[in-house]
Amino acid sequence: MQSLCKFYEMGDQTVRALDSINLDFRQNDYTAIMGPSGSGKSTLMNILGCLDTPTSGLYELNGQSVAEMDDDELARIRNKEIGFVFQTFNLLPRLNCLRNVELPLIYAGVAPEEREERAAKALVNVGLGDRIKHKPSELSGGQIQRVAIARALINNPSIILADEPTGNLDTATSHDIMNIFGALSDAGNTIILITHEEDIAHYTRRIIRLRDGKIESDERR
Amino acid sequence: MLLRETITQAIYSLTVNKLRSWLTIMGVAVGVFSIIAVMTALDAIDKSVESGLASLGANTFQIQKNPATTFGSGHSRNLYANRKDITWQQALLFKKSMEATSRNIGFMISSMANQAKYASLTTNPDVTMTGGDENFSASSGYIVASGRNLAESDIRYAKNSVVLGNEVATTLFPSGVNPQNKSIKINGDIYTVAGVFDKKGAAFGQSQDNFVLIPITRYLNHINEKSSVSITVEAISRKDYPLAIDRAIGAMRLARGLTVKDANDFEIRTNESLIDSFRDIQRAIGTGAFIISFMALLTAGVGIMNIMLVSVTERTREIGIRKSVGAPRGVILYQFLFEALFLSLAGGVIGIIAGVATGNVVAFKFNLPPIFPWLWIIISMVVCSGIGMTFGLFPAWKAANLDPVEALRPK
Repeated sequence: MQSLCKFYEMGDQTVRALDSINLDFRQNDYTAIMGPSGSGKSTLMNILGCLDTPTSGLYELNGQSVAEMDDDELARIRNKEIGFVFQTFNLLPRLNCLRNVELPLIYAGVAPEEREERAAKALVNVGLGDRIKHKPSELSGGQIQRVAIARALINNPSIILADEPTGNLDTATSHDIMNIFGALSDAGNTIILITHEEDIAHYTRRIIRLRDGKIESDERR
Repeated sequence: MLLRETITQAIYSLTVNKLRSWLTIMGVAVGVFSIIAVMTALDAIDKSVESGLASLGANTFQIQKNPATTFGSGHSRNLYANRKDITWQQALLFKKSMEATSRNIGFMISSMANQAKYASLTTNPDVTMTGGDENFSASSGYIVASGRNLAESDIRYAKNSVVLGNEVATTLFPSGVNPQNKSIKINGDIYTVAGVFDKKGAAFGQSQDNFVLIPITRYLNHINEKSSVSITVEAISRKDYPLAIDRAIGAMRLARGLTVKDANDFEIRTNESLIDSFRDIQRAIGTGAFIISFMALLTAGVGIMNIMLVSVTERTREIGIRKSVGAPRGVILYQFLFEALFLSLAGGVIGIIAGVATGNVVAFKFNLPPIFPWLWIIISMVVCSGIGMTFGLFPAWKAANLDPVEALRPK
C-alpha cells in the first residue's frame, strides 16, 4: 500500500486516522501491528481487511486494486482473500460450530456436502473435532477462538487478519492460540496480528508500530 | 443454491423469536381472515339465493301490488301505499287473457303466523297460510307426496280443503298416521287434509315447508277479503320469457282497467330483479369488508416493517459478521426480505384457512356444500406477498447497506 490515508470528519475537524502509510506485506509474512489506542491500528486493520476503503492512496491485494472497489466486490475479496479472527470472536451464537465455520463457504457458493466436509476438517485441524455440533455458548473462550480460526482458514485466504485475538483470553489460552498462529505461519500462511501486548507481538517475525496514524517503526526479526 | 440457503436462514431466524414472529403473523392473519370469511360467506349466500330463486321455478315471474323491497320514503312510499289490491276478479281476467300463451299461471295470497292443530298436537304459531289455486304447486315447485293437490272444484266452491307443507305434516302427524281426510284446525277453523307436499328445503335460510295451502277463494271469503292476490306466471320457454313479461303487463293493465295515461299500478318481480337487489346488498358488504381488510393489512404491514427494523437493529452484529466473511449486499437483502415475506405469507395462509372455515360455517347454516373462494384466496396470497415485499424492503435495504465496520464495533 502506498501513501494510504484515512480521514474522518468530526464536526469541523478532520481526524487523520491514517496519514500516508506505506506498507508492503509479502507472502508468509508474520506481522504484528502495535500501537496505543487511537494510533490508527484498527483503521488500518479495517482497510487491510477490505471492510473499509481508504480516503486516498493505493491498496493492492494480489495485484487487485481494492481502493476503488464497490461494496459487493469488497465482499467477494473478504470472502476469498481474507480470514478474520476477532477479539470478540464474532461467531453467530445460534449456529453450531460446523455451521459457523462453513458460513464463508455458503457465500462462496460451495455445495452443501463439500461445505460440511471442509468445515469438519477445519475444526479437526484446530483440535475441535469432537465439538462440531456444539454451540459457541457451550465452549470456552479458547475453544471459541479456535472455531473462529477454523472459519478464517476455511477458504484458504491470502491473509489472516487477527484483531487482538488474545484480548479476551487468559495467558495460558493465549499461548495456545499463538501456537496455532505459529503453526499456521510455518505452514506458509500470511498472518497480520493487531495487538497492544508486547509478549504477544514477540511471537511474530515483524513488528510495525503505529503512532498518530503514522508508522513509527517497522522491524523484522 | 444460495437462494435455498438464504430461505433456510430466513426461516431459522424467525423460529428464534417465536412469540414475536407469531404476533406479527397474527396481524396479517386477521386482515386476511376478515376478507376471506366475508367473501366465503357472501359466496355461500349467493349460492343459496340462486338455488332459492331456482326453487321458485324456472322462467317464472310474479305480479304483485308492491315491490319486494322499497327504499326511500315520502312520495315513493305513498305511491305504493295508495295502490289498490289486486282482486280475485282482476286475477281471473288476467288469467283468461294470458292462459293461452303461458305454461302455467298460479295465484296466491299468504299470511304469516298461523297455528295448526290436530288432536293434542299443535304447531308453533309461525305457519304461513297460503291461499292458492290448483296451479300454485306447479308454479311454485311443490310436489304432492301423498294424497292430492287442490282441485279445480276446491277453488270453485271455496272448500275447506288443505294441503300441508311437509314440516306441518310431520309436526301434526308424527307417527305414520295417514293425514288424508283428517280434520285439522287452523286458527280455530276446521279444514280437511287433502294431501301433503314433498320436502322442499330452505331458501334464503328460511324453511319453505312450514306452510299450509288452502283454496284462494276460501282465503278471500273467510280469512281476509281485503288481500291482494299475487300472480305467478311461468313462461313457455326461456326465450319467450321477456315477451311473456310484456304480455303480462298488457294483460294486467287491461284487468286493472288502466287507461293509456295511467302508469302501471303493480310490480313485476322477476328472479333477476330479486338477484339484482341482493347483489346490491352483497356489493355493499363486500366493499365494506374489503376496506376494513385493506386497513387491517396495512396495519399488519406496518407491524411487519416495525418488527423487521427491530430485528435489523438487534442483529446488527450478525449482519456485520456475515458481511465480514463475504456476504454480498444482495444476500443480506434477500435474507431479510424473505423473513418479511414469510411472515406475511404465513399470516395469509392462516387467515385463509380460518376465513374459509368460518365462511363455510355460514355455508353449512344455509345447507350448502363447502365453498372455496379461489379468486379471493389467490388475491389474498398476492396481496400478502406484496405487503411482505413492500414493508420488508426498507428494513432489508437498511440491513444490506450497513457499514460492516460500524456493525462489528463492540458496544
